[in-house]
Amino acid sequence: MSEPREHGATAASSLSTSSPSTPGTPAPAGPARAGARGAMGESLLEVRGLQKHFPLTQGIVFKRTIGHVRAVDGVDLTLRRGETVGLVGESGCGKSTVSKLIVALERPTAGSILYKGKDVARMGGRALKAYRREVQIIFQDPYASLNPRMTVGDIVAEGWAVHDDVAPRKGRLKRTQELLDRVGLNPDYVNRYPHQFSGGQRQRIGIARALALQPEVIVCDEPVSALDVSVQAQVVNLLEDLQDEFGLSYLFIAHDLSVVRHISDRVAVMYLGSIVEEGTDEQVYASPSHPYTQALLSSVPLHEPHLRGQKDRILLQGDVPSPADPPSGCRFRTRCWKAQDVCAQEAPALVDRGQGHPSACHFAEARMVVPVDVE
Amino acid sequence: MTNLDLTKPTAELAAQGTPLLEVDDLRVEFRTRSGVVKAVNGVSYSLGAGETLAILGESGSGKSVSAQAIMGILETPPAVISGGGIWFQGRNVLEMSAEDQRRIRGPGISMIFQDALSSLNPVYSVGFQIGEMFRAHRGMSRKAARAKAVELMDRVRIPAAARRVDDYPHQFSGGMRQRVMIAMAIALDPRILIADEPTTALDVTVQAQVMDLLKDLQQETGMGLILITHDLGVVNEVADDVAVMYAGEIVERGTVDDVFSRPSHPYTDGLMSSVPQVEAKGGRLRPIVGQPPNLADIPSGCPFHPRCSHRRLGAEAAPGRECSTDVPPLRLVVPGREAACHYSEEVLGVRAP
Repeated sequence: MSEPREHGATAASSLSTSSPSTPGTPAPAGPARAGARGAMGESLLEVRGLQKHFPLTQGIVFKRTIGHVRAVDGVDLTLRRGETVGLVGESGCGKSTVSKLIVALERPTAGSILYKGKDVARMGGRALKAYRREVQIIFQDPYASLNPRMTVGDIVAEGWAVHDDVAPRKGRLKRTQELLDRVGLNPDYVNRYPHQFSGGQRQRIGIARALALQPEVIVCDEPVSALDVSVQAQVVNLLEDLQDEFGLSYLFIAHDLSVVRHISDRVAVMYLGSIVEEGTDEQVYASPSHPYTQALLSSVPLHEPHLRGQKDRILLQGDVPSPADPPSGCRFRTRCWKAQDVCAQEAPALVDRGQGHPSACHFAEARMVVPVDVE
Repeated sequence: MTNLDLTKPTAELAAQGTPLLEVDDLRVEFRTRSGVVKAVNGVSYSLGAGETLAILGESGSGKSVSAQAIMGILETPPAVISGGGIWFQGRNVLEMSAEDQRRIRGPGISMIFQDALSSLNPVYSVGFQIGEMFRAHRGMSRKAARAKAVELMDRVRIPAAARRVDDYPHQFSGGMRQRVMIAMAIALDPRILIADEPTTALDVTVQAQVMDLLKDLQQETGMGLILITHDLGVVNEVADDVAVMYAGEIVERGTVDDVFSRPSHPYTDGLMSSVPQVEAKGGRLRPIVGQPPNLADIPSGCPFHPRCSHRRLGAEAAPGRECSTDVPPLRLVVPGREAACHYSEEVLGVRAP
């Protein structure tokens, strides 16, 4: 198969020159990232107190609501232009629900998502349509997220059927081929079907589909979890290159702490529907101050033989409580070795407690759990 | 009748110099309508009591198929064991009767799988399923088997075992289900436990608990452990030795310390540099280019050569070491380390003798 790094560069330049700059829809600018590396740009996406509760019902004909699953329960996030925010957490913590809320596939129960200062929940018609173009998503499962009956060309170009101002009708085939080339696929494969591709290649198709609408933000929901290690690295590198080239902002959702650290500028750690700690990758990984972050990091197996046995391992007891009936006060207190009476009464706010970055723990205290590789 | 002695202490066997398990040049093919898929192409390894061997590979490298061949649970057809042998305590499993093979499964070799939910029967309680081992192999009564099941659930640290023994698989969390499966696997004190991606479906905090449990059980019983995984971190933390598989072959083998600190096969090297680390942000990842091979159409010569950065083709290759035509044998590179690459010394940075 084609090698992604080789023939990307030439196509990329032609891609950005052929970008139509339609009024009202800012075309992604190449050099945006250059400035973004130093100081982060203005905030694009602001999530405030986001909640999503799913009703639990009983009965077949007459459904009664007997409770709520608090999948997302008070999430604050900020995504600035050109940056990557990593959202990590274990299964069931609500991270995928956050991604669905952000791309407006679900409506929040409470809280707001502000995009460029405007509340997404109050958008309608044209504004919502523009928002959906500018905020795209890449899904985890490259097998389930591509329609098996559509050709790759049709999949990538499908967005233009709705947003027909993005690509002029005439040059669409050529643009599709440029996009395929840019993500490292052979442009001659436009007429093939998803089943003819491997997992990594399918994920590239998903990326091309997201890029086709010239988005500002891409929500990446576990984009590499289903891929083999060697292919995973290819996709991570591709995402980084595209970010530099088009000045994209990523919300990168994953459970793999190593991948998140690698790609993210800032990291938020989620537990049972809310964020427990947030900071730069260095702050969160080198001096975690929330007990859950510490436990999570200490469980990650290290790859270097000389670091084996050097970290102090925190083994958590028990399982994650049900989000339908979360513990009072601090959600983590049932498994926390620091828990005291105050933890059951008062939910700790996500604020800086003298660690230099916000942590939602009454007894936040920095502790190094991952040994530093001195090599 | 079998002359297999499963009661003899493992230590005694080890003293005789017989490894528990020896796999020799194992070959497995799947004969399908669209062609022959060569899943395992000449794999050899041995395992002694108390040892942990990790088999590391990506999907489609043949790591699970080789384990299924050892367990005798390959579906035949389409699978065919087309060559080689599997010796368990000195006897070739492939030549045994089906009845003898069945006798080995459980007390001799047992296995745990990746997906606990689909490996457990949803319509029987977990206690019944664990107890089944005792009823089938030891002829115990239902009552005695149930008591044994409670004991085992305690051993794999399932809280409130006596109360949960009659629960069904769906009532357990992922980590607990994995423990149930481990309980079934260790019920008859197996000599060898094969763990096929035991923690891949689990969250990292649960993964750590399950790996700890496996290590503790191994220490208690002295069983040999074959750990099949794609996770470099798990291999590093748990295993003594590692065999790296690619396209149905072992391409590198040695102690974990050696192989991970200084890989001598370009594929192992590529894997190591594709994986981001949690202990440092690191620079740009250096992935292996291209895609893993299709096992129905494995490249000629070295199967890795189309993706290899060290390959030498045509005139630049040393005689007899042309990567696209000459198959590299698994050979000793430095003491204690084998690799199937013509240019391992170069990869290792060691001068060829």
